[in-house]
Amino acid sequence: MGSFSRRTLLAAGAGAGILTACGSNTGRGGGGSGPRLSHWYHQYGEAGTEQAVQRYAAAYQKARVGIEWRPGNYDQQTAAALLTDSGPDVFEADGPTLDQIRGGQVLDLTELVDGVKGDFRPAVLGPKTYEGKVWAIPQVVDMQLLYYRKSLLEDAGVEPPTTLDALVDAAGKLTDDKVKGLFLGNDGGAGALGGTPLYAAGLQLVTEDGGVGFDGPAAARTLGKLHRLHADRSLLLGAPTDWSDPAAFVQGLTAMQWSGLWALPQVRKELGDDFGVLPFPEDGSDGRPAVLVGAYGAAVSARSRNKEAAKEYVRWLWVERIDYQRDFALSYGFHIPARISLAARAPELEEGPAADAVRFTADHGHAQPLLWTPACRTAYQDALSRIIRSGADPESELRAVVRKVSAELDRVKKSS
Amino acid sequence: MRRRGALWFWVFVGPFALGLALFTYVPLLWSVALSFFDARNTVTPTDFVGPANYTAVLGDDGFTDSLRTFLVFTAFIVPVTYVFSLSLALMVNRVRRARAFFRSVFFLPAACSYVVAALIWKMSLFSGVRFGLANTVLGWFGEDPVAWLATPDPPWYWLVIVTVRLWLQTGFYMILFLAGLQRIDPVLYEAAAVDGARPGWTVLRHITLPQLRATSVAVLLLLVVGAFQAFDEFYNLLSDARGYPPYARPPLVYLYYTALGQGQNLGFGSAGAVILALVVAVVTAGQARWLKPGRTDGDG
Amino acid sequence: MDDALVRAGRALRLVLLISLALLFLIPFYLLVRNGLSSERDITSPEWTFFPAVLRWGNVRELFDDPSVPFARSLLNSALIAVATTLGTLVLASLAGYGLARIPYRHANKVFHGILGTLLVPAAVTFVPGFVLVSSLGWVSTLRGLVVPTLFPAFACFVFRQYFLGFPRELEDAAQVDGLGYWRTYWRVVVPNARPVFAAVGTIVFLGAWNSFLWPLVIGQDRDAWTVQVALSSFTTSQVVRLHELFVAAAVSILPLLLVFLCFQRWIVAGAERSGID
Repeated sequence: MGSFSRRTLLAAGAGAGILTACGSNTGRGGGGSGPRLSHWYHQYGEAGTEQAVQRYAAAYQKARVGIEWRPGNYDQQTAAALLTDSGPDVFEADGPTLDQIRGGQVLDLTELVDGVKGDFRPAVLGPKTYEGKVWAIPQVVDMQLLYYRKSLLEDAGVEPPTTLDALVDAAGKLTDDKVKGLFLGNDGGAGALGGTPLYAAGLQLVTEDGGVGFDGPAAARTLGKLHRLHADRSLLLGAPTDWSDPAAFVQGLTAMQWSGLWALPQVRKELGDDFGVLPFPEDGSDGRPAVLVGAYGAAVSARSRNKEAAKEYVRWLWVERIDYQRDFALSYGFHIPARISLAARAPELEEGPAADAVRFTADHGHAQPLLWTPACRTAYQDALSRIIRSGADPESELRAVVRKVSAELDRVKKSS
Repeated sequence: MRRRGALWFWVFVGPFALGLALFTYVPLLWSVALSFFDARNTVTPTDFVGPANYTAVLGDDGFTDSLRTFLVFTAFIVPVTYVFSLSLALMVNRVRRARAFFRSVFFLPAACSYVVAALIWKMSLFSGVRFGLANTVLGWFGEDPVAWLATPDPPWYWLVIVTVRLWLQTGFYMILFLAGLQRIDPVLYEAAAVDGARPGWTVLRHITLPQLRATSVAVLLLLVVGAFQAFDEFYNLLSDARGYPPYARPPLVYLYYTALGQGQNLGFGSAGAVILALVVAVVTAGQARWLKPGRTDGDG
Repeated sequence: MDDALVRAGRALRLVLLISLALLFLIPFYLLVRNGLSSERDITSPEWTFFPAVLRWGNVRELFDDPSVPFARSLLNSALIAVATTLGTLVLASLAGYGLARIPYRHANKVFHGILGTLLVPAAVTFVPGFVLVSSLGWVSTLRGLVVPTLFPAFACFVFRQYFLGFPRELEDAAQVDGLGYWRTYWRVVVPNARPVFAAVGTIVFLGAWNSFLWPLVIGQDRDAWTVQVALSSFTTSQVVRLHELFVAAAVSILPLLLVFLCFQRWIVAGAERSGID
């Protein structure tokens, strides 16, 4: 492309956008002076979130913080950007992943939580901790739970299920030619549930000492029951929106749906009091109810040119500014603050289904362990999908998974 | 004189070749180098592991399953697309009225991105609930709705994938065939008619197809490469926030989830991609030999 | 009797073509229907051919949505697609002409080296390519979005095939007039090769307009979003805004359909004379 076309386009005014964007993280935010910091967020669906984080950044005085709001596959973008010098200084991450930590791509943030470590929920701080050090500051707690439509259950004469068997029966009874009993995601639940059924059977994905936590007949028995949901045709499949969106539930396509706490405001708006929430019901004699919790955390890139300034900013926003943390968790969508003290003082969380959700998180919350790498996840999810939808034999499927996962866990242990 | 030729050759070809070298060959060789290292979350690894990544990839049944699936998929989709686009071209070429209209209609989908096409297919045409168009039609006949993309048994998802692919691609190949058909000298057909050949199968077999050989070779090459390297429509149709089902999973999608996306096991991923490229090379080489390079049309 | 048979065959062919054409148009119909519906109309259990009220307001809403700079992204896409198309046409046509016409001992090797890259899956070169471009300091720049995409092997291939079939007499006359390769190319060859430029240009333009992953990771600043990136932002991790997604998709392909309808005559003509096609 010659300079000719570039100039012509510039003259046409169309070029202004991209050209001024060249290499700049400025433009918005950054009320303060001092070094420039680029702070990445994944795109939140709730209205107002972006404006809120812009406002926080603008209020910081010791650095000029530019917000990057990233649509599309966020984890892949950060993973690629961390390999380069043009990546973020501060970024939120579902991880950081084990290999990002071991590869030295993120900074140790242990000192930032000095003195307040106990105020973060252990279930979400745990996966941000490796070899005793903290690698990201949890921002908010996200959790997944089971929504059910009270009126539909009453009409069918079904009690809210407290065991997995009862859930399977209830889903069957609630299914007719218009409404399905249960929606676990368009893939039948393998993705959304993940390890939840194992925790509900009293098992784990990874044990304390880094071994496979689901090697045994109990796992096969529990996962096998999920296939009945599919075989009975009680599962909603192929909805236009997936499990993370409450649309299928509020539109009456399903009587029960596994979804996130973030869906609660929308469900309440559409259904009023006609719904309740449950944890994933227990299974077997060692079983306990279970919910999946997770947290995006703020991490600092090891390639940042202003490491100390970046850490300082993270400390300011995610440790010190309790008011912003509250605003971020509760004003846009619906999350539980990561700080226990903050969650305890939130009136929004004191009654009704929200209070139930907080209780489930405290009592039954399990997060995906740090050692559960993408290789483990793919192998397990493949097996779960085949068990649920194709009726594959749970025992032989799980044997193959255990083999793969223990090889991966061995790798992780060996070189650490 | 020859010297001058070389100079001018590089004046013309140099910029393109240089760009290709920088932006394709450098990353490619880099990637091949990575495949011999333990390269997790780094592109400058130090831990040389020899062929370990290759044995790991070949021992991974997730990868070999997807490779097998896509050998079968290629064997199916390539002839289907070939026959369908050739038939369309033959029909459009013979039609007397509104030829431009038909050509445009079949060609227009080529303007749609995979993202847009997948959106229509997944959320409207073949959505699994009753208000999807396909299920609405089934409903008129009193059938239950089908979860097209979500049930592995029967594997309806292939219907969704194949239709979206045909919709997106047929028009492009049809145009290539149309162009090829218009290059055929009408004298050949006249001669055939004089010899008493009846229009139809005989003419198609003895005149049209041989005359289209060069076009066919190119179309088949593009189809085979496209089938093995399939990524976008599969990813957009079948993936969700948490992953991808263990069926209809192209090799590149599998590598994306295990090694080249968020989990950066770049050595493993590169080894898998190199193996895939070799398979494609072998298949296309075999195909080229089978079709022989006896070019008939447009050899210039 | 034969005549009747022929006429029946012709009618059959027409019927077949018309039904296929209708099938091919269904997705476009769905795009428009859903784009002009409300969320409720789309998910209504009773199918309606078109919603009772066509919501043209959806289009205005799309452009007024403060969370997605849709107009800006259209402009960016247009700029990138035009720049990419012009750049590719110049570079690839020169290379194609050189390969077809200028005698050089290693021309065949160079040609196969270029062609071979067709076999390389983009996923292989993606991460190293991104690191490379980033180390050049090209992230979030027009250069970074455009330059690495200017070298598609297929474009060079098509040009070479086309120029191989180009009538030599024209060039010979020019050579007699004392024009070198360079001036012959610009004064004689290019003006007489418009169809192939139109054909390749359309295909490159489409590819640039529809490409997603590269603009997503290179265009890190929101002001550099392309229309495909903007489209993807309607599907967040929590909710999907169905009608907005459909209306945005419809608007995003509109410019392409126009380009297409204008140029398709040329595409056939270009393909016709290039031998591959």
